Amino acid sequence: MDERFMRSLEQAPDPEFARRLRDQLGNDIEADAEERPRARWTPLLAPAVLVAAIASVIFFPSVRASAQAFLDLFRVHTFTAVSVSPDRLRQLQEGKLDLKTLLGDSVETVQEPGPPHPAASAAEAGAAAGIMVKVPGTLPAGLKPDSVSWRGAGQVRVTADVERLRALLDALDIRDVSVPMAIEGQKIDVRMPAVVEQRFRNEKRTAELLQAKSPEITLPTGVDLAALGEIGLRILGLEPAEARRLAQTIDWRSTMLIPVPGNAGSFRQVEVSGQPALLVTAKGERKDGSPREGTIVLWSRGDMVYALAGNLSNMDLLQMANSVQ
Amino acid sequence: MASESVVLQRLIGWVAAPEVDWDAAYSEQLPRVYNFFRYRLGPGADAEDLTARTFEKAWVARHRYRRDLGRFSTWVMTIARRVAIDHLRSRKNHLPLDEGMDVASGPSPEELAERRSDAARLARMLVALPERERELVSLKYGAGMTNRDIARLMGLSESNVGTILHRTVQQLRAGWDDAGG
Repeated sequence: MDERFMRSLEQAPDPEFARRLRDQLGNDIEADAEERPRARWTPLLAPAVLVAAIASVIFFPSVRASAQAFLDLFRVHTFTAVSVSPDRLRQLQEGKLDLKTLLGDSVETVQEPGPPHPAASAAEAGAAAGIMVKVPGTLPAGLKPDSVSWRGAGQVRVTADVERLRALLDALDIRDVSVPMAIEGQKIDVRMPAVVEQRFRNEKRTAELLQAKSPEITLPTGVDLAALGEIGLRILGLEPAEARRLAQTIDWRSTMLIPVPGNAGSFRQVEVSGQPALLVTAKGERKDGSPREGTIVLWSRGDMVYALAGNLSNMDLLQMANSVQ
Repeated sequence: MASESVVLQRLIGWVAAPEVDWDAAYSEQLPRVYNFFRYRLGPGADAEDLTARTFEKAWVARHRYRRDLGRFSTWVMTIARRVAIDHLRSRKNHLPLDEGMDVASGPSPEELAERRSDAARLARMLVALPERERELVSLKYGAGMTNRDIARLMGLSESNVGTILHRTVQQLRAGWDDAGG
């Protein structure tokens, strides 16, 4: 006997019940679909995020140190955007690469962050998350506090797999880079500390402030980060010369690279409370073809990282970010 | 660069998530939520009431849905779990559901037929499971969730979920076979 008996309790809901409940909710749902005045976030960054995740997951274990080597500890202090190729993203979207297979079991979840927990206040969420939470002193555009939540720390362990990396490069037709065998089997731990989120909204606009201690990455010493970063940038679709130039200038030990599709977003360096920050604007379309836009500003201060995102104007978003105390 | 794999998911992952199409979400999630309650509490009429309660709560709280922290289906199941817990608490002295149905009105011919069915048989076996195991089975086979999503929802490791489910199904299978399945 297989597990079919486990499905024997399964049953489709009574159509009359489904219709009745749908009708009960229906007016509200339809009204929401018609309104949707909020220029919500576009999915256009999704492939880039995926690519970045894939690239970093594969590349970071690129170490040449022996098992006896010391561990390096990395923390994010700066954010840098890079414009990536829409063609490469399309290539990934069209399924020419089976990313799931490429990653496979090389990523192990060591600690699940668990579900988000609602909190009564920012202070309560901060206490639960173990951080001193800052709040915005200015709420532009008539925003009001809406909700606060926190989520626990998470940790993943990645094991380098040379064959999978080569397969990825081959699939992308990248033939002019070599993958060092020394990385095979090396492990890296990536820890994302607990995050507190404060959400603000008015009739048409929303903003979310996220804050956490800097993510930490540990890996064996002896890594040629620039070389590996160059390969990562090639995977993201950068031209060889540009990838090499960027790889040499980025401080890979403290920089989080934000890939932005060239045809769907823009970015610029700004300042928040005197600290360098990155402002990324993503553009897209609603179902009816009308444009929508969202912006996120990322910065760090001390050992904390902050992200403020919303469908506010850039000026309002930066004003709010600068008021975070 | 590795930090992207985690931080992008956490800090700007929600940028990448599409809007929720509530109409489609309702159609897709209704059977999952409904069957979650059938597995969790038994195949009585409560499943419809609790399903309705779950969707009403989800609709009222829709602005609180965080796309970067999980899929919509996981969020809805988080609400369904709480609804189930509240329901069980409110019936602290409740009888096991299959017994309760009998006491309430006596078995009808249809109920007797169902009692003989595989569904009723599995329902009776599920009643005997510990709460955690029953909830895992409900999420897996009722709601059709993956082990990974269940792990996130319940704060367990994925491997732990797989182990518990495997053990529980083996236990149920043995009971099923012993009973002549």
